[in-house]
Amino acid sequence: MLADKDRIFTNLYGFQDWGLKAAQARGDWDDTKSLIARGHDAIIEEIKTSGLRGRGGAGFPTGLKWSFMPKESKDGRPSFLVINADESEPGSCKDREIIRHDPHKLIEGALVAGYAMRARAAYIYIRGEYIREAEVLQKAIDEAYDAGLIGKNAAKSGYDFDVFLHRGAGAYICGEETAMIESLEGKKGQPRLKPPFPAGAGLYGCPTTVNNVESIAVVPTILRRGGEWFAGFGREGNAGTKLFQISGHVEKPCVVEEEMSIPFKDLIEKHCGGITGGWDNLLAVIPGGSSVPLVPAEQIMDCPMDFDGLKEVGSGLGTAAVIVMDKSTDIVRAISRISYFYKHESCGQCTPCREGTGWMWRVMERLRVGQSSREEIDMLYEVTKQVEGHTICALGDAAAWPIQGLLKHFRPELERRIDEHAEFTKEAAE
Amino acid sequence: MNFLSKIFTWWNGATIGTMLAAWRGFEHVGTDAQGNKYYRSKKKTGDGRERRWVIYEGSNDASRVPSEWHGWLHGLGEDVPESFLPPARIWETDYTPNATGTDTRYLPQGALEKGGHRARATGDYEAWSPDA
Amino acid sequence: MPNVTVDGTEIEVPEGATVLQACELAGKEIPRFCYHERLSIAGNCRMCLVEVKPGPPKPQASCALPATEGQEIRTDSEMVKKAREGVMEFLLINHPLDCPICDQGGECDLQDQAMAYGRGYTRYDENKRAVTEKYMGPLIKTIMTRCIHCTRCVRFSEEVAGVDEIGALYRGENMQITTYLEQAAEHELSANVIDLCPVGALTSRPYAYEARPWELKKTLSIDVSDAMGSNITLCSRGREVLRVLPRINDEVNEEWITDKARYQVDGLQRRRLDKVFLRKRGKLVEGSWDEAFKAIAKAKPGKSIAAIAGDMVDCETMFAAKALVKASGSDLVESRQTGMDYPTGNLAAVNFNTSFAEIENADAVLIVGSNLRTEAALLNVRIRKAVKRGAKVFVVGPEWETTYPAEFLGDDVSVLGKLPKAVTDAFKDAERPALILGAGGLAAGAYDSALGLVETLGLVKDGWNGFNVVHTAAARMGALMLGFAQDGGIADIAKAKPKLVLALGADEVDWEPFADSLKVYIGHHGDKGAHAADIILPAASYAEKPGSYVNTEGRVQFADKAVFAPGDAREDWTILRALADALKVKVGFDNFAQLRAAMTEEVPALAVEGLADYGSLPKTGKAAKAEGKIAYPIADFYLTNPIARASTTMQRCSAELIHGEDVREAAE
Repeated sequence: MLADKDRIFTNLYGFQDWGLKAAQARGDWDDTKSLIARGHDAIIEEIKTSGLRGRGGAGFPTGLKWSFMPKESKDGRPSFLVINADESEPGSCKDREIIRHDPHKLIEGALVAGYAMRARAAYIYIRGEYIREAEVLQKAIDEAYDAGLIGKNAAKSGYDFDVFLHRGAGAYICGEETAMIESLEGKKGQPRLKPPFPAGAGLYGCPTTVNNVESIAVVPTILRRGGEWFAGFGREGNAGTKLFQISGHVEKPCVVEEEMSIPFKDLIEKHCGGITGGWDNLLAVIPGGSSVPLVPAEQIMDCPMDFDGLKEVGSGLGTAAVIVMDKSTDIVRAISRISYFYKHESCGQCTPCREGTGWMWRVMERLRVGQSSREEIDMLYEVTKQVEGHTICALGDAAAWPIQGLLKHFRPELERRIDEHAEFTKEAAE
Repeated sequence: MNFLSKIFTWWNGATIGTMLAAWRGFEHVGTDAQGNKYYRSKKKTGDGRERRWVIYEGSNDASRVPSEWHGWLHGLGEDVPESFLPPARIWETDYTPNATGTDTRYLPQGALEKGGHRARATGDYEAWSPDA
Repeated sequence: MPNVTVDGTEIEVPEGATVLQACELAGKEIPRFCYHERLSIAGNCRMCLVEVKPGPPKPQASCALPATEGQEIRTDSEMVKKAREGVMEFLLINHPLDCPICDQGGECDLQDQAMAYGRGYTRYDENKRAVTEKYMGPLIKTIMTRCIHCTRCVRFSEEVAGVDEIGALYRGENMQITTYLEQAAEHELSANVIDLCPVGALTSRPYAYEARPWELKKTLSIDVSDAMGSNITLCSRGREVLRVLPRINDEVNEEWITDKARYQVDGLQRRRLDKVFLRKRGKLVEGSWDEAFKAIAKAKPGKSIAAIAGDMVDCETMFAAKALVKASGSDLVESRQTGMDYPTGNLAAVNFNTSFAEIENADAVLIVGSNLRTEAALLNVRIRKAVKRGAKVFVVGPEWETTYPAEFLGDDVSVLGKLPKAVTDAFKDAERPALILGAGGLAAGAYDSALGLVETLGLVKDGWNGFNVVHTAAARMGALMLGFAQDGGIADIAKAKPKLVLALGADEVDWEPFADSLKVYIGHHGDKGAHAADIILPAASYAEKPGSYVNTEGRVQFADKAVFAPGDAREDWTILRALADALKVKVGFDNFAQLRAAMTEEVPALAVEGLADYGSLPKTGKAAKAEGKIAYPIADFYLTNPIARASTTMQRCSAELIHGEDVREAAE
């Protein structure tokens, strides 16, 4: 269990004030100048050493990502940092806690990270529904400007750095990095083709890096305490601490900072007071937000909660939004609802996702009541395979995976419903 | 109709041969509104059927046989059609023979005899007139 | 030059090529919907998926993937086949199967590709999506249920036309393509989206339910609605031209044509001159060819004969007329109907010297008295491309709505004498500067001062001639090459008081000074010219005769005959030949081949298709001072010539798009 002294987010629950004074008391903005004085490459090296992997879901090494940014501008184009606070994944709620209770960690992180990648400014794209959070963050940014921590000669480091807050309009797809860039530019939020990657031509055609809130917010602490310290948590290749968001059928749902690679059982026992109705009552877990396949109870129990551990059981860490479902859950209905979410949020650009998500949802709705046939289960699986990997962004994959997980682990349940329905209609006909 | 034309024409009424046959072995059954006469054979054929004939009054045009007698000719009923068919309804129109080749024939829209007014077709154009 | 392997065969592809282009070079067909050579890459239809190594173990969209050294591309693997079938299935699940009543049937990309790359059955049991109709104006008919969201139309209006009018609403399977607030698409190139649409979502409204593509005879022709000389295909059935499609010619019109070029052809069926008319006691009455020729001969014109050519006549007609006038001993010929009188001695000075393809590379452009959107919309597209590459544009003349950033310098020609510093600076730094002089400028007398700027602005450089004139009449350059001009313009002819005036489709002439002349109108439409004429001889329109046209950049192009002229109308040159007999003069040709031979002997440049060489610009001294307000010659883009004025489609466009009348069909 993570010791209190090793927690990065010390005001995660809002027991203290979020303001600048309180944040400084907690150690934020402490000699930021000296962090910056280390130089661009030293900061990136330190982050590489820490083994920090992107906290937004894909788990791409953050230090490596920053190193793709141009070392110097050849044609006068500035570089930008875009911070992804469009937290719309069902189950995820970590960025919200950071923004409303510890916004200065994010702003300081923006400055340090922005400096490391030689960015001129940071754009924080916050989810439209986060109204109070946007207010808090804007006030925090104003505080930081007033205190001279950002803006011209930010934190007296001699580096000019601006932070802008941009509110989204509530589209899930704008959490995708290139769609977010499009949306920031004022266009319809639709993912762009890659290449060119944002590090080459992103926001307004300038080199851009898009990072998750959590990835940026942990940066100052990593630099202060050293990459080695951060790398000391978790297994090889899955370093650090992580905010887990446990929801669903546990006694006490919570957001908690915990070491990576903690076994699932420990996570639930220590922080959530166990599963409702005991461990025997556990049906399945969606370990990383709605877009990853579910894992049935027996496989998840001792699984280490990290990128590689969950990959081994055919799922993923995602944003570490752990959705726990006990045996009272109508699992088919749950997945069908997720499927509806993706149908609703598909941007409509690529054919397979635009047409496939609606089709999958409609079949799922019929499977929910068993109004289907066994052959249709195979067809549905094929349709998910036709969507997966055929689209510009990963939303098509995200829509396909939950259904694939369901078909893989709960096929007998689906067949039972189909048979039951067939029996019922047969009786009704007689 | 004079006697000579009766011998040398075959397109009006019966030929000489048929008339002779009719005298010999035909039994007159009835006459329709146009005066066509209907006969049947006095003797049955080998398989027990009787043969039926029509001798036209005027041109030998099969379409001049009205529908009720057409049925009779094809073996419908024993006696004259009136004996087994329901009475004619008031809304029934009189039987008309095939009009092909006659003045009462059907003319499509746009036929010159009907004034030449027709729907627009490819290649039609509207000519300029100085008064326009 | 990277080397890639496509299905086992190694080929070298040009730098910057995409995988799709590499596959095409290797002779492999890649199905596609959203990809179009002249538009930006969207990569959203996902039909062009191929397997590429090295790369992720999933199929890649080949249209957006750059070809790099050592790539192994497979277009025939099981993965690619399944991916195509999958995408095709998705496209078809919400596409209505109404091909039998769809106008795109027979030329539909989705039909063709479904046959080639799709499965033969459906597994979709749910209800299909239906989308409400959108109104896109009098030219574009929409059946949006058929839309497959390739966004070609969106990209066309944004990138090529430069008018943000079409876009997508909503998201996911509810995404809909529509115009802004469902207003009509209101620009000169709007109907090109009909060609771009790979399915039947956007079809031609005037051509709706008229014909199937396989019934049509296709004739290669040249557009005469403006001086661009757009290459077109006339699609005809029987005696009627049903529609016009653009032909690809990168030098001239790329792949686009204006709405007028596309839709004025229904004017060929209306107000046609199909009989001979003679004026008797002040009234035009029907007559015969014999009567007409006798009446002309009776006028005994002798040497007092003149010919005025209209805007849409071909070179052969003008040559035949000139031969007739010359044989009679006169030289009164003129083609500038509206009375312009700029010098025509040096053809380079009245030509678009830079050429359309090259103007894209210009880096500073000064437009003098031309509203390019109405006078040469496709040239405007080229200028827009130049601006995208960094060109600066300045305009002298009344303001019009440009599709690119441009600075207006005032509407008086005198501005040319004292150009602002911004202009001179831009031209000083420019490597490829260009001046475009339009008909409005010519009419306002800007010819000399514009020519004077050649020196001042350094328009002529090694391998670059930046002096350009844009005409508005398709016949103009051909006429000037044939010497169909007087020094003083049409005023010279009026002064000579000819007994006989031959008006070759001339409809814009002020006939007042010719009150005493016998006016013989040889043309195809009953318009202003016919009303003013004493004798009307019905002739053929551009679709009804072969002929050569020279566009404003001096490009000689040949058009074929698509259909026969209606009624008694004859091809123009035959009328002139018969007239020569009536006037008892010899013109020296008896058939079309002899006519062409005589013409090319006189003007050899007309014998070869392609750019004619007019030599170098005339030497000018100090620029002459000129003054005069510029007015653009085209007030109504849709009604500039007799054919367009007769066309119901063009009339409707004019009423709705220019005069703002609401002629939308109720509840359609």
